[in-house]
Amino acid sequence: MIYVNAFIFCGLVCLIGQIILEETKLTPGHLNTILVVIGCIFSGCGLYDKFILCAGAGATVPITNFGNLLVNGALQGYYSEGFIGLLKGLLVNASAGLSATIIISFIVALIFKSKN
Amino acid sequence: MDKNEYKKIIKYKSPKENKLKNIIISFFVGGLCGVIGQLLTDVFNKCLHFSINDSYMLTMVSFVLIGSILTGLGFFDKVVSFSKCGLIVPTTGFAHAMTSAAMDTRNEGLVKGIGSGIFKLTGSIILYGIVAAFFISLIKVIVG
Repeated sequence: MIYVNAFIFCGLVCLIGQIILEETKLTPGHLNTILVVIGCIFSGCGLYDKFILCAGAGATVPITNFGNLLVNGALQGYYSEGFIGLLKGLLVNASAGLSATIIISFIVALIFKSKN
Repeated sequence: MDKNEYKKIIKYKSPKENKLKNIIISFFVGGLCGVIGQLLTDVFNKCLHFSINDSYMLTMVSFVLIGSILTGLGFFDKVVSFSKCGLIVPTTGFAHAMTSAAMDTRNEGLVKGIGSGIFKLTGSIILYGIVAAFFISLIKVIVG
């Protein structure tokens, strides 16, 4: 069942993204920025954890999850250390994805040459 | 023929099903990404015995790896021209944006090229993500 939910949830996020791209003049960069902020808002409302419970990786694969990880980290930091934890914890959960992306991109850019 | 009539004819003649086709394709490709992600998560969680949060993280890293390598080999743009948003919205799109920015600026040197150019496309995602996350959690902490 979780596979069906994952398919529908991840598909719906991509479908909404495609509709935004078709109907407006925004670029994919704008789209991803908007989706991350939307992810932050859903996470702040406490809804994103429920999405992950229902849809599993369907909710963690789209870029909206990046916003969710940021908000979750900040809130966890606040609950353990108070207001200073808000700043200390902001990047904790998102660190793995962000660091991996930066390191892998750097290595790939060193190895491969752009064809244009 | 006046302008309005002309516009009507243009609207009638221009292909409409193309948009719908793109939307349906991105739904299916995106859904497939979700299913593959769930499959990978289950492999990490049940076969390799990572915790569930670590499995989600490792799935994300796998998608980043796939997206970056496809970009490096030059396949990603071809796949995206077919799959549209189905591969832009998942984490592969984030990896693609960062890798392609790094590859484009690589000729200008390590510091001034890759160093400053790697965040050219993803900088806005990181900036607005962090700013929005900070203020939303601040509001939640103060209100709730």
